[in-house]
Amino acid sequence: MSQPLPETSGTTVYAARAVHTFDPARATASAVAVRDGRFLAVGDPDDLVATYGGTLDRTLADKVLLPGFVEAHCHKDTGGLWQYTYVGYEARTDPDGRSWPGCNTFDAVVERLREADSLLTDPDEPLLAWGLDPIFWPGERLDRRQLDAVSTTRRIFVIHSNMHLATVNSALMEAEGITPDTVAEGVPKDASGWPLGELQEFPAMALAGAAFRSFFGRQRSDEAIHLFGKSARNVGVTTLTDLGTSNLLEETIVRQWTGIVDHDFPTRVVMFHGAMQNGTVSDETCAAALAELRKQSTDHLRLGYVKLLLDGSIQGGTARLRWPGFHHGGPNGIWLIPPDQFADRLAPYHRAGLQVHTHANGDEAVDVLLDAVAEVQAAHPMPDHRHTVQHCQLTTPGQYRRIRALGMCANIFSNHAWFWGDQHISITVGPDRAARMNAARTALDLGVPLSMHSDSPVTPLGSLHVAWAAVNRLTPSGVIVGPDERITVAEALQAVTMGAAWQLRMEDEVGSISPRKFADLAILEADPFEVDPMELRDIPVWGTMCGGVLHPAAGVGG
Amino acid sequence: MSSGPDRLPLTVIGGYLGAGKTTLLNGILAEPDGQRIAVLVNDFGDIDIDGRLLASAAGDVLTLANGCICCSMVDGFAESLETVRGFADRIDRVVVEVSGVGEPRKVARWAHLPGFTPDGVVVLVDPLSVRDRAADRYVGETVVSQVAGADLVVVSRSDVADEEDLAGTEAWLSGMTDATVLRTPVPTAVLLGPRPRNLPAETAEDAPASTTPPHDHVSISRHLDGPIARTSIDTWIRARPGGVVRAKGLVRVDDRPDDRTVLQVCGSTTSVTVDGPWDGGAEVVVAIALPGTPRAALVKWLNLLG
Repeated sequence: MSQPLPETSGTTVYAARAVHTFDPARATASAVAVRDGRFLAVGDPDDLVATYGGTLDRTLADKVLLPGFVEAHCHKDTGGLWQYTYVGYEARTDPDGRSWPGCNTFDAVVERLREADSLLTDPDEPLLAWGLDPIFWPGERLDRRQLDAVSTTRRIFVIHSNMHLATVNSALMEAEGITPDTVAEGVPKDASGWPLGELQEFPAMALAGAAFRSFFGRQRSDEAIHLFGKSARNVGVTTLTDLGTSNLLEETIVRQWTGIVDHDFPTRVVMFHGAMQNGTVSDETCAAALAELRKQSTDHLRLGYVKLLLDGSIQGGTARLRWPGFHHGGPNGIWLIPPDQFADRLAPYHRAGLQVHTHANGDEAVDVLLDAVAEVQAAHPMPDHRHTVQHCQLTTPGQYRRIRALGMCANIFSNHAWFWGDQHISITVGPDRAARMNAARTALDLGVPLSMHSDSPVTPLGSLHVAWAAVNRLTPSGVIVGPDERITVAEALQAVTMGAAWQLRMEDEVGSISPRKFADLAILEADPFEVDPMELRDIPVWGTMCGGVLHPAAGVGG
Repeated sequence: MSSGPDRLPLTVIGGYLGAGKTTLLNGILAEPDGQRIAVLVNDFGDIDIDGRLLASAAGDVLTLANGCICCSMVDGFAESLETVRGFADRIDRVVVEVSGVGEPRKVARWAHLPGFTPDGVVVLVDPLSVRDRAADRYVGETVVSQVAGADLVVVSRSDVADEEDLAGTEAWLSGMTDATVLRTPVPTAVLLGPRPRNLPAETAEDAPASTTPPHDHVSISRHLDGPIARTSIDTWIRARPGGVVRAKGLVRVDDRPDDRTVLQVCGSTTSVTVDGPWDGGAEVVVAIALPGTPRAALVKWLNLLG
């Protein structure tokens, strides 16, 4: 699929329909010259050949070239989930390019599972599926009886799209001893006392035993990493982030990733250590280990970054909100690190010169984060630390001013407008705060270094979709939620290229088409500056170039 | 999957930062009441493991000379419980420490996994700070919710707090929760209840008998002979005398004579569950009460089961 780099790499000039460099010194061009996996120059194809020699390649002559997209917040299970059967409501395309229509009825779910069941040869292998979203079937509920229509002998485990709920069949219940005597919370029962087959939250899902362990265990397979890379290639992403899904203090994990993510891999990967999983290791020891680990970084794999979490999610009712709290009147959310301990957890990494990206959805969580950064900065001033607020969905203008003043960055979850915008208006935070959510306009106007992300697999990987959501702020019901917070196409694409590169400290290597930077491209079939902004997300992606190597998307004849 | 007798009782211990969880866990490991206890902690940092007591260390598991083990939950609950299940033939029970902002009641849900059985939620509170914490802008709801989810609340630092703070805290708690409230020090036998596996071994004849009180709390056991009436259980639950902190029974019930029914009291909470087919073992109930609880009241109470 990918073309190996010639051993003595000469110069190749790629002619294009248009090149948008996102480098203001030369914003547009009609060709790029590539040498040794890096951009040499941009310009006119004939001029470039005349100046630098080399060969003219017309493979991309009718394509539009942008810097490879930089996804600064997603997770490795983006790829791994495709090891299982997709039964979600929305159509999706898998990493190998096969399109999976949405399962819009329970019958469609059953039909999809039957097909998957027929492909499994070992009768003892559980059938694992993901993406079910019953929010689209109000009043209906998938239970074991529908799944029994798929198989009465094979164990079936279907995890819902929120990853907090699963539905299993009778064969699995029998194998794992889930009976009327099961008194565990999160195991609802029918009128006769039999469990319905729904397992709510992790302690109940774990009752599914081997199927549950297999579902999460296989996320650590080599195959999952390869699927992650393919997914990126299909949507034009050339720098991926695994934001804290892995414990990088485990040598086997580092070895696995360094072994796979090399020159042949379709993207670069930035690995954040999940410092919530430190276990017996102190933050001081961890910081020292990560500072050492950073030295093992390669052009393709970056190490030595830290992820912390402060609160939960807005749609899950677990984010920490300031007054007046949730619109639905539910209790305020949860803390994942005690607020008065947060500065102490941050400090060792800060002192070691490591960047910390912190999950903070609610505005109250952002307060705690900003106070902590102010505290550690006062104690140990560290110029240009770029600690980053991740999600910042309810961050206020005052908080954005502080983010700027503290030298921090913001990575905004713009896709929420499309995926939960209607629910935010009517249920979670109400219409006023929904209009202010993911305030990209405000952040930019206040000079905050901005990126935007998908948090894949929470929403599908795809920087064009992320940009589209920030440009249009459209909800599925047709509402423009917070029109004053919309940003331009140029600003949105800047955020998912240079903006993200800055947050990952890769601003001199990726994020724009500039001489000496890695030759990383998002290769598009249409010009994002010419299409209707409402169609930004629909632009077909031909594939990517990563380090001078072309990676056509699945289904594209390379 | 494991059948009834192999299930490890799992007790959850929570409380906000500084509430005294580590001190309590160190006490359990130092004086485990003759039980081999697996303690699951978020990190080993503050666990006081005297070099002489440490028998072996392998990765995330420390084994102590007294048979207790200490595991870190670095890989998450499901994985840690899986690890502990591998030690099932060497330990009697499991104690799980919940992080300072964790919800002990929610963590207790894990105790329903095969091989385990829930055995109470204990929440510690610091008498010098809990009332301020409960009003804190950031963590108030968390602290209140922790207390509300407890079966047993332990007021810590009774050695340094003055009586006014202790009594004030207890009065405040009585408005927050129906849970039984104790002060430190709490002996392991009271905190965790009777040893699960040798429930029958140390007990006496047919009539209610007393066993040697570990420390100075009161412990009573009674053997039962054949299935008891379902209705007697309801009466028994309602008639529980003050002072009872823990009780455990392995019984047969008339409407399910072929199954083993487990009666369990932890603080204010009583549960009645079926954990598998009857294994032919002794039918017995044990109760543990605070010092000063009249023995006669306990005898009368256990006699209600019939």
